[in-house]
Amino acid sequence: MPAKNTRNFCIIAHVDHGKTTLSDRLLEHTHTIEQRVMTDQHLDSMDLEKERGITIKSHPVTMTYRAKNGQDYKLNLMDTPGHVDFSYEVSRSLAACEGAVLLIDAAQGVEAQTVANAHLAFAQKLKVIPVINKIDLPSANLELCTRQLEDILSIPAEEAILASGKSGIGIEDILEAVVARVPSPRWTDYPQTRCLVFDSLYDSYRGCIAYVRVFSGTIKAHDMMMLMSNGQKAEVKEVGVFMPKMTKIGSLGAGDVGYIVSSIKNTADVKTGDTITLAARPATDMLPGYKEVRPLVFCGLYPLESDDYEKLKAALGRLRLNDAAFVYASESSLALGFGFRCGFLGLLHMEIIQERIRREHGVDIISTYPSVIYHVIKQGGEEMDVDNPVNMPDPGTILEIKEPTIHASIILPNDSMGDILSLIMEKRGVCEHTDTLDMNRVMLRCVLPLNEILVDFNDRLKSITHGYGSMDYELGDYLTSDLVKMDIMINGDPVDAFACIVHREKAEAKGRQLCEKLAEIIPPQMFKVAIQAAIGGKIIARDNVREMRKDVTAKCYGGDISRKRKLLDKQKEGKKKMKLIGKVSIPPDAFIKVLQNN
Amino acid sequence: MSHLVTEQAKAETGAPLGLYVHVPFCASTCDFCAFYQVKPTARSVDGFLTGIARESEMVAWDRPLTTVFWGGGTPGLLSPGDLRRLGVVVRGIPGGATMQEWTVELAPASVTPERLAALREIGVTRVSLGVQSFQPGLLDALGRQHTREQVDRAYDRIRSAGFASVNLDLMFALPGQTAEEWAADVREAVSRGPDHISTYCLTFEEDTALWVKLSQGRVKLDPEHEARLYEATWAQLGAAGYGQYEVSNFARPGHACRHNLNTWRMHEWVGLGPSAASQQAGCRGANVADLDQWLAHLSRGERVTEDRVALTPALLAEDALIFGLRLNAGVNVVEWRDRCPDAPWLAVEALLTRLVEDGLALREDGTVRLTDRGRLLADSVGAEVMAAFAEEAVAL
Ligand SMILES: Nc1nc2c(ncn2[C@@H]2O[C@H](COP(=O)(O)OP(=O)(O)O)[C@@H](O)[C@H]2O)c(=O)[nH]1
Ligand code: SF4
Ligand SMILES: [Mg+2]
Repeated sequence: MPAKNTRNFCIIAHVDHGKTTLSDRLLEHTHTIEQRVMTDQHLDSMDLEKERGITIKSHPVTMTYRAKNGQDYKLNLMDTPGHVDFSYEVSRSLAACEGAVLLIDAAQGVEAQTVANAHLAFAQKLKVIPVINKIDLPSANLELCTRQLEDILSIPAEEAILASGKSGIGIEDILEAVVARVPSPRWTDYPQTRCLVFDSLYDSYRGCIAYVRVFSGTIKAHDMMMLMSNGQKAEVKEVGVFMPKMTKIGSLGAGDVGYIVSSIKNTADVKTGDTITLAARPATDMLPGYKEVRPLVFCGLYPLESDDYEKLKAALGRLRLNDAAFVYASESSLALGFGFRCGFLGLLHMEIIQERIRREHGVDIISTYPSVIYHVIKQGGEEMDVDNPVNMPDPGTILEIKEPTIHASIILPNDSMGDILSLIMEKRGVCEHTDTLDMNRVMLRCVLPLNEILVDFNDRLKSITHGYGSMDYELGDYLTSDLVKMDIMINGDPVDAFACIVHREKAEAKGRQLCEKLAEIIPPQMFKVAIQAAIGGKIIARDNVREMRKDVTAKCYGGDISRKRKLLDKQKEGKKKMKLIGKVSIPPDAFIKVLQNN
Repeated sequence: MSHLVTEQAKAETGAPLGLYVHVPFCASTCDFCAFYQVKPTARSVDGFLTGIARESEMVAWDRPLTTVFWGGGTPGLLSPGDLRRLGVVVRGIPGGATMQEWTVELAPASVTPERLAALREIGVTRVSLGVQSFQPGLLDALGRQHTREQVDRAYDRIRSAGFASVNLDLMFALPGQTAEEWAADVREAVSRGPDHISTYCLTFEEDTALWVKLSQGRVKLDPEHEARLYEATWAQLGAAGYGQYEVSNFARPGHACRHNLNTWRMHEWVGLGPSAASQQAGCRGANVADLDQWLAHLSRGERVTEDRVALTPALLAEDALIFGLRLNAGVNVVEWRDRCPDAPWLAVEALLTRLVEDGLALREDGTVRLTDRGRLLADSVGAEVMAAFAEEAVAL
């Protein structure tokens, strides 16, 4: 099939607006998958993806469609990750397309992610096909949706297609629009082979499988390929397409979406966004948009049972094979024992990895408070990046600390406005714009420090707005801020797992809260135990662990001595299992309980 | 090592030696009881008395007895004749007719003029009466089988029999007992004018009916409540002229139980009878807690077959601290350091310093004693002492 009859497109939508359901209908309609083998939501294969309604891995699929004009078309549908944590991956998936179907739930209207995704599509110069979905719902409000299309996204209302993935309405219209409106593959006449890597998968037999969109030239088994970011060469072992199962074919040509198996084993070597060319006749320019992804959010992960350390290590290794954006290194903590410092693209990425460690690898873990990367400028001009509060240099040596910020778009019902504004204020945010979306909703654009949204921002947004609020964000600049490292100390000895970097004005409240929690959770002690929060040696909050009141056996006669000794010995042995902070023995689960509590 | 201790003990003229006789018979089992006891039959009582005589002959009595204590079980279940029979055995032991203090535990229901006469006759000086409570409802709840009237009658009979010292045993923190009810019990005890009062906080021991209730959640532990009862008791008895000398023991001047004091100070004693513990001749251990097996052991010439440990100076020093700290008088650490210079005294010193710093203990001259708050935590303190003694020995 000539490249001019190929269409590469994706579907973008706010979560739950019906992307997966619609994709399934398209596969059915084009007989890519017969109805009887269709399980619901065919494209989301990971359990976690199905459960959360998010896409973590790309699931490209090639369909053949005979259009009303009588011609056959090859339609490559890219299912893109739909979350801001993966915005770079999303942008690479979008870069592999020429068009995007933008879904809007007819009953919900435009949401934060709709706006963010539409902007990403515009930025990639994709042809956007607006689809108002779920029109079967009695609460569908077509008029509102079309007005929002025009007002918020500047998309002409008459372009909108009305559809229902569930009832199978408008499926043919969408396929026709893809054929008619999405341009045929671009940059096909570039003189050398160029393939964009938009994802990769680790296979224990075949090593790294690169997911690619071929822009120009061809690639086939036995070619020597070259990764343009670093010049690494490898032999192509196999190429194929997604039908949707991986299906080996002779060669991939311009406009195709498919996979390449090569002699490269490690997924970390084949980076998303890289360009694959042929070593014999290499291209001179990479496809645009490549960048190295760096983790933004860090935390320590520790096994709940110290015996599980090796198991956790193996789990992290396996996850890393499939997810080059996830990084880890071993670390140890006085309070929590041996574990790993881990870096993630964002909060969701962090949650997903943690969840997969628990579920797919069966290791119970505890995580320390998440942290971002701070830029620290020291007296004398030396600069350093700090992703673990423990490594923050002495306050006296610091000139300034810069923290990452985000530009957030928050959509919320009018009546939650007051509460959300105070939440943003509490989180040190600044609102820059307020747009009215419709009678009931507004969109706020604000700048917030990334570290302030790490813990409970989304949960609180959802609870204040009764689930109607939504948020999306992109990274902003690093800004100078009055940040301090706060230590939590037990009888003067710092507990590493609780060190954190906070804004000076919030330090006292947070310190008090942590001290209280620890004092409450640590069981009563015989000796006096003070819990203190300190900034550079200055105590800003303190609490005392409850004093043990009574631990004495009433009767202790001659015959009781041996028995008594056994009892005390048990008590003494019990102490050995505890974490020793200075002279204070703390049950190992006390720290875990405090961390779990937050 | 151990022979050193024995040599030393022998050399110390007048070192006390106690005798404990365990009488393992009870009419029924109390809910909180973890002692070894069985229902008495004519055969088993006879076997027991014969066994005591035989066991006594097996002991190497190297110096005269200073104190005797008959506990149980319920020694008072023995008939006057059997009490005399047991008395003859004791009096046959060196010092058995001349020792300073001879205590017998009695349950109120078993106190008859005939028994008391028999006890006076053989030389008993001190009676410990198991009152437990004056509140009928609580007595019932404990599975105790006596009435308030029986207690009063028993006390009067003991007094008129003319024993030198009388103790009343009370229990507190009973399920459902209020602080006021307990204070009333203490008041009642004091009003009868005993020489000694023991107040035991109800303890939950494994293998007791109470433990079962506790683990089924039918009774709840409340350490704060117990701590307050302890403190109230100490104050109330102190004000009434009963000085506390141990966690649970109070006496008018001169009436502290010497037998128990000697035990807590890690002196020697011989235990006779099933389950009885001994600490003598360089060894600590107990007899088997079964009447028939005990008799079988005796017929093979064996005693103190269970939980045997050699008494090294370090172990004695460690236990002198653990158990001595339960005493209001405390322990003379300097004395023990001299007796056993190569224990980990550095670690012990560090612990003692910390106890003093945190208001759990006081030091005067060579003596360390716990404060009231410290005494309420004597078990935790004991575990710390053990931990200190487990450290490498470093000379001071
Ligand atoms: N009424 C109605 N419900 C739909 C339609 N499409 C999807 N849904 C429901 O909306 C929810 C989210 O659908 P899904 O396809 O997983 O959305 P995604 O998160 O965008 O992939 C599911 O409960 C679907 O059953 C539709 O056209 N009409
Ligand atoms: S508490 Fe005393 S009387 Fe009650 S069963 Fe135990 S030994 Fe016997
Ligand atoms: Mg989905």
